[in-house]
Amino acid sequence: MSVAGLRKPYPGNLAVVGAGPCAVSGQRSVLLSATRVEKVYGKGGPDSVRALDEVNVTLSDGEFVSVVGPSGCGKSTLMKLIAGLYPPSGGTINYRGQDVKKPQRGMGIVFQTPVLLPWLTILENVLLPIRVLKSDKAAATERGMKLLEMVGLAGFQNKYPSALSGGMQQRAAIVRSLIHDPSLLLMDEPFGALDALTRERMTVELQRIWLMNKKTVFFITHSILESVFLSDRVIVMSARPGRIIKEFEIPFARPRDFRLTTEAEFGAYVAEIRQLLGTTNDG
Amino acid sequence: MADRSTRSKFASTVATFATGIASLATLIVGWQLAVGFLDIPQYVLPTPLGVWHALVAGLSESPTSPAGFWYQLESTLKATIFGFLIGSALGIAIAALMAEFRFVQKFIFPYVVGFQSLPKVAIAPLYVIWFGYQIESKVAMSATLTLFPVLLNSLEGFSATERDRLELLASLDASRWQTFWFMKFPAALPFVFAGLNLGIVYSLLGTIVAEFIGAQRGMGVIITQLQMVADTAGVFAALIVLAATGYVLISIMRFLQAHFVFWSGATSEADR
Repeated sequence: MSVAGLRKPYPGNLAVVGAGPCAVSGQRSVLLSATRVEKVYGKGGPDSVRALDEVNVTLSDGEFVSVVGPSGCGKSTLMKLIAGLYPPSGGTINYRGQDVKKPQRGMGIVFQTPVLLPWLTILENVLLPIRVLKSDKAAATERGMKLLEMVGLAGFQNKYPSALSGGMQQRAAIVRSLIHDPSLLLMDEPFGALDALTRERMTVELQRIWLMNKKTVFFITHSILESVFLSDRVIVMSARPGRIIKEFEIPFARPRDFRLTTEAEFGAYVAEIRQLLGTTNDG
Repeated sequence: MADRSTRSKFASTVATFATGIASLATLIVGWQLAVGFLDIPQYVLPTPLGVWHALVAGLSESPTSPAGFWYQLESTLKATIFGFLIGSALGIAIAALMAEFRFVQKFIFPYVVGFQSLPKVAIAPLYVIWFGYQIESKVAMSATLTLFPVLLNSLEGFSATERDRLELLASLDASRWQTFWFMKFPAALPFVFAGLNLGIVYSLLGTIVAEFIGAQRGMGVIITQLQMVADTAGVFAALIVLAATGYVLISIMRFLQAHFVFWSGATSEADR
């Protein structure tokens, strides 16, 4: 059911992949595949909650994939299963040909909140993965300084998190997730706690960072607009149980300008996804 | 605006200070006059002037003279500091083990609760039997009293860790030791310090109690001796020395706290 490479940016003719297993996009190799993944909270009694139901996701090398869905559709759960933080109740997750049984060193995570440790400076926070992974600190420091500069935090490396605004803290968190050069970046509503303007700027910023690094990104959001703007592919999920209802290939050329969001073709994607979700999501 | 608020803050600090001085002066003058007018004997309530003379006399003695305060204070301080260090190290270590290992918690917690309900100074005579009349029994008493507040506060700190932070460390496949050392331990420091602030007060208390029960040197010893000869002014002077010592110890703890948990805005409020 491969539709990768299909580039028809017209409404009603959207490149759509069903809920089945998605094949490799183009010539890119598969980095991660989740097959028939389930997650049930509780012990199977009447109180147990089925958070995820037979979800299939494939991430190719260098691909930017978003997941949109209403609150409680299990998108964060899906990310945490992919990260290896929790075991799935059913199905398998395969990363580079290996079963994910515990967190993988090749992954970086950005959470909804920055989760910076307040007793460490920004640079020390950024280098935390290096300390944990016992990697080369000198090289990482240099890399960290470059990354901080890239996200506009040059000169803030010796400040403590409390001295930074929410947006700056989240950018530091993004740098931390990139410091150990992960192949896969998992982002769980990273801009959820930011105000609308900062959020817009961070979205453009994230695209820039991605274009410079070409990591595989798995991006969880409840903003349809954000997902269409950033992604190669958007996965739409429904709630209770969490299921994939549709996937969209987003063909627009990069780098994408935020003005794109006001164009009709772009709007058509947003509208279709919104209709699927049956909500008046703020986009 | 900012200028006005700093100025009014300064003014209110000055006002508080002035009120304190006035209150103290009133107390001392009132005390002096009351003792004179009511003809209270010196051995019941000495005059402030008498206390002052005793204080100056006690502090003028050479540090090697057992009649002076310095000689006795040295012994008390030594026992207090050793007791504090031992008690707080044990308290933090046990709390960490209890928080990290469920079975340790189950194993130890009943005893902690049991000990908590025991008035711990009542153990002092036992320590004299075990450790004798030298510094050891004082250190043991001081450490015992320090242990509990440090243990209970630290345990709360080690147990309250944020899920996001745990997931961050877990996502890096951090070992249990790394998670503890990089995250749980520093995160618990505000609680640990709340315990240490109590612990330093208790360690001095423990030393004095041990000195009352049986010791050859220390402020507790000199207080009992002064009491025997009905030198009440001397007792008051010794109490002032102890209060000053306690104040210095607490100030050192506050300084260390400000240095190590500068990042925690909640701490200073929590133990205020």
